[in-house]
Amino acid sequence: MLALYLAQIVNSGLALGAVYGVMALGFSLIFSASRLINFAQGELLLLGGLTIMSLAGVMQLPPAAALLAAAVAGFVLGRTLFSTTLGLTLRASPLRQLMLTVAASLVFQGVAILCWGKNPLMPPRLIPLPDLRLGLVFLGRDTVTALTLAVTAVVVLGLFLGRTRLGRALRATSQNAVAARLQGVDTVFCHALSFALAGALASLAALAVGPQTGLRYDMGLGLGLKGFAAATIGGYTSLGRVFAGGIILGLAEAAMVLTVSGEFKETAIYVLITILLVAAPREHDERP
Amino acid sequence: MTVPRNLSLGLFFAALAAVGLVTPGFQLLAVNQHLFLAVNVLALNFCLGLGGQISLAQAAFAGLGAYGSVLLHDRFPEATLVIVPAVVLGTGLLAAMLSRPMERLGEGFLAMATLCVSLVFTNLVLTLETVTGGSAGHMANARLNLPLLGSLSGDRATFFCFAGLLALGSYIFLALRDSRLGRALAACQGDAQAASSLGVDRAAVRSLSFGLGGGLSAAAGVIHGHYTGFISPEQYHLELSLKALLFLVIGGPGNLLRPILAALVLETAMSWLSVLGDARTLVNGLLLGAALLVGYWRASR
Repeated sequence: MLALYLAQIVNSGLALGAVYGVMALGFSLIFSASRLINFAQGELLLLGGLTIMSLAGVMQLPPAAALLAAAVAGFVLGRTLFSTTLGLTLRASPLRQLMLTVAASLVFQGVAILCWGKNPLMPPRLIPLPDLRLGLVFLGRDTVTALTLAVTAVVVLGLFLGRTRLGRALRATSQNAVAARLQGVDTVFCHALSFALAGALASLAALAVGPQTGLRYDMGLGLGLKGFAAATIGGYTSLGRVFAGGIILGLAEAAMVLTVSGEFKETAIYVLITILLVAAPREHDERP
Repeated sequence: MTVPRNLSLGLFFAALAAVGLVTPGFQLLAVNQHLFLAVNVLALNFCLGLGGQISLAQAAFAGLGAYGSVLLHDRFPEATLVIVPAVVLGTGLLAAMLSRPMERLGEGFLAMATLCVSLVFTNLVLTLETVTGGSAGHMANARLNLPLLGSLSGDRATFFCFAGLLALGSYIFLALRDSRLGRALAACQGDAQAASSLGVDRAAVRSLSFGLGGGLSAAAGVIHGHYTGFISPEQYHLELSLKALLFLVIGGPGNLLRPILAALVLETAMSWLSVLGDARTLVNGLLLGAALLVGYWRASR
């Protein structure tokens, strides 16, 4: 019985955790490049997911095309977010930039309400993967999809950041923007790129989370917040650790779903996030 | 054009009083909601404008005030004089205690931590269904009973309660800003490390401003809870915190009147927009974004 419970926790925890992990990567990209917390991260996922769902409604989307379309849609959304928020206020106080992303999240939500309505929508499974049984552990197809997508995204992103010239420029910008500019890196372009990449990641996460929970206009904040918490657990700097932060948060949440009631779970999770934020390692002391 | 501070304050409150006297009762219902928000904006100004600490927990403090007072009045209907100060002080103390460990956090992290405080409050209210009524809400039948004035009810009385609270808050805000403590807070905001090395106990002074803000929000919540006659988690949801923060940033943290005016004017405009139906969220977002950008462009010129 206990083994069954544990298997259940692992299954749903990994599905949630993979999504949180990918969201956390998007947060970390933007945060490292521009020291800005993007409140509209969840809305990027929402609009990306809805766009792909509508696209799948009008044409046949094989898995590869769905992935590509999601990445492109997210990329464009993220770039749009940049040019309407941070791109306009590069010299403003961090607080104003932060509040602009809040306003942007309202605008994105408004677009979602106008174009897709207020009812939850169930997007189709665009990446059909089978269930997987590894000894005692059983992974449902949603979990397998989420994990595959997430791990692929981490690997591709890691290669991009580590091996390409552009990726190194992005890393240089996040380590020391002034020095990067002195070396001829276009830091504003790098900020824009980090937003666009975060958008692409969020859209890919939507492919995983959509068929699990459906897409609803007001889902963005909760997901965004948990992505942020996961990024905090992971410490913002290393891809692997940030992703692991997402998995840990997902497993913790799944464990609580099975042990305590629904609303109390939310309370416990948010108390936990607060404690984590306060007690997290101080390497990001005095950051914005 | 600069207007002397006392004159602009006097004009503002005179205009406010005129609005309260002239507006017909049924329209005051909407005005009172805006005033409730304006008091919360002022409360947030204590944390952010004076201490430089962002907070999204204002809704939780207002909610604590409302729920605390209404639930206690159900038990002891005649004890207004004890309950209201206790609730306000208690919430203020809680806010001060919460802010102490969070003092070291930077802006974004503090925003997230205090956002979690708001969410914890909402979810606790939902969880403790037997006491609070959960998502269905709770009827607030008891009124605030004051010894000489009798029971407080009606739109106009509430309007002047809110206006009085706003005036009291403004007075404390200005007195604090021009005091030694206010300068210590300004130092924390300007350069935290320099302030520490000059002997300012950062955690202590900031928790004081945070606590004052929490107490003021709680007082607004007390009035609001008894006024609406019905309290539910949605009234004191995160949206209230976000709105308060948005209007404060639009008006400029540290200014006294501008954020309050921004809240009253923009909120009135946004309530007219309810005719737009589903397009409302979009237009609200555009309006707030535009206000933020206009403020930035004006400041950078």
